[in-house]
Amino acid sequence: MDTHTTPATSPIGKKILCIEDEHFISELYVRALTRAGYDVTVEVDGQRGLELAQTNQYDIVLLDLMIPSITGIEVLRHLRNPAETPKLKAKVIITTNLEQRDDIREDIEKQADGYIVKAEITPHELVALVDSIR
Amino acid sequence: MNNLQKFTTQIRSRLVLLILINNLLFIADWLIMEEVFQLTGYWFFLGLLIVPVLTLTLLPWLSTSYLVQPTKLIWQAVLHIAPDTSNVPAPDLKKARLGKDLVESLVSHVYQLASVAEDVAKTATKEQANLDHDFVANSIPLPLVILDKDDTIVFANQAAAQYIRHERQDLLGQSIYSVIDMAFTNQQTFDVWLKDAKAHKAVASQTWERVKLNLPDTELSKQPQFDLAAYYNRNNPDGHETMLVLFDHTNQYAQDDQSMSFVALAVHELRTPLTLLRGYIEAFEDELAGKVDPELEDFMKKMAVAAAQLSTFVNTILNVSRIENDQLSIQLHRESWQDILRSVVDTMHARAEVRGIQLSLEMPDKLPAVGVDRTSITEVLNNLIDNAIKYSGSSNKIIIKTYINNDGQVETTVQDFGVGIPDSATTHIFEKFYRNHRNRAQVGGTGLGLYLAKVMVGAHGGHIWVRSKEGEGTTFGFTVMPYSQLAADSKTSDNGSVEIVRNAHGWIKNHSMYRR
Repeated sequence: MDTHTTPATSPIGKKILCIEDEHFISELYVRALTRAGYDVTVEVDGQRGLELAQTNQYDIVLLDLMIPSITGIEVLRHLRNPAETPKLKAKVIITTNLEQRDDIREDIEKQADGYIVKAEITPHELVALVDSIR
Repeated sequence: MNNLQKFTTQIRSRLVLLILINNLLFIADWLIMEEVFQLTGYWFFLGLLIVPVLTLTLLPWLSTSYLVQPTKLIWQAVLHIAPDTSNVPAPDLKKARLGKDLVESLVSHVYQLASVAEDVAKTATKEQANLDHDFVANSIPLPLVILDKDDTIVFANQAAAQYIRHERQDLLGQSIYSVIDMAFTNQQTFDVWLKDAKAHKAVASQTWERVKLNLPDTELSKQPQFDLAAYYNRNNPDGHETMLVLFDHTNQYAQDDQSMSFVALAVHELRTPLTLLRGYIEAFEDELAGKVDPELEDFMKKMAVAAAQLSTFVNTILNVSRIENDQLSIQLHRESWQDILRSVVDTMHARAEVRGIQLSLEMPDKLPAVGVDRTSITEVLNNLIDNAIKYSGSSNKIIIKTYINNDGQVETTVQDFGVGIPDSATTHIFEKFYRNHRNRAQVGGTGLGLYLAKVMVGAHGGHIWVRSKEGEGTTFGFTVMPYSQLAADSKTSDNGSVEIVRNAHGWIKNHSMYRR
């Protein structure tokens, strides 16, 4: 992946919420994304991450599936339920390492805006993908 | 006999009627000549002659065409079914003016006889090709099954019956799909292939490796595993359209599986630390670029390359393990092949450079969009290029070419100018764990990369090949399908309104569905 592509829109000031409980991963992602001009918030807990996403206007939510309190897939379903989250502006990108069961995979394909296998992507490649979000 | 009597009576009565009419005409003529025209002598006899002359010319003509017509219809029926005169149309029995019942019954007898004759001929050929009497087919220890045009089993030898745990006589007349449940390691399965062959080819053959038989009441790990060879020959005169031969490899494959699942389990645990390692190396490169000793920078690059290689290795192991457990799923999407090749060559560039090798990419300006699973096909390319780098020896060039081949498929070759592969090895090179023994000591590798490449390419509906000469180098080639062809074949498509941006290991949808 060419890491020097020009972003579709300038990332300056774009707000990202990174729901991720693995400290090293979030450290790497925050560093790479911040350097690329994004404003990144990290949350390790699913429930608190959901509340943050519902009450703040983020542009992008990076959502791990294996997180404490409630799982990422539940967070995704709450965010995509118009009754609970009426005006969600954020694009939701799933970040995971595991194979998904068919029903979960279907939900992700329908409801998420992106899907990233963490073990197969470097921080530079993550930035390139996030940059491609319009 | 009734019909015949009826027919005779009909003819008899009609003839009597004709003669009667004839006589009446003659009398009428006499009367007319005598009373109306009052002719006498010479003229009277001349006038009297009109009727005999008329009847002598008309009556035979009328009566024969009338009486012969039924014979004509029967004659036409016989010619219609005769083997060399098939262009004669069937007689139209409604036209029969005389003896309709007789004609109908005779013609139906003719048809019956014809079908009996046909059956006899058919039975004769069947008798001739009956494999049940074939000592070789029956006693060969290889399971052998033969299907007719409806995929119904017309022959199964004793070995086949034993292998799939059915009584031999119970198999005959059954649909192959109702008695054998086979699990394939890729999407190109027997039924898909057979359907395709039937639609497009007169003769075809294909071999699948590591097919699993799903027997009821048997543990997954104890299911028989075999290589399946299938031969298709449309319109085989004996009705033996498809032949299946099973080569059992249960012991060998089960052993591989066991070692594989252990390795996969172990390797899975390497993923996260490896990801972190690569991430932090990348961060180091970012921060230190241009600020440190060039030698240190070079070391950093080598570390990154080694980590990337380890990552490819881990993915290969996990993918092979997914294949073994029937968990590999690939999803074909519309992609630009140029994009994929460029991005692979970009990533592999560093790996080649460390060994002093130059990668060159040759592709035409225009290529159709292809239908591929980006992650999987990237791994195929990675593996082939990785392989070329490993076996380049002292040569310093690798050429990657892509073009449209004669079958309209997008074909890509990876050519190195290294040590090459001996002929004896090229036939086995795509087998799992196969490695050229002479090179084993010098070159690292799992012996899984090419096996994985073959399975992945197969799952894409393409094929992979190798051409090599010892001391001159090796060329690997494989095909993928243009998206248009794939879409026509399987109707796989992304939601048209959504643009999907991908790299090798992730995707982003760009659309306005959730925005208000």
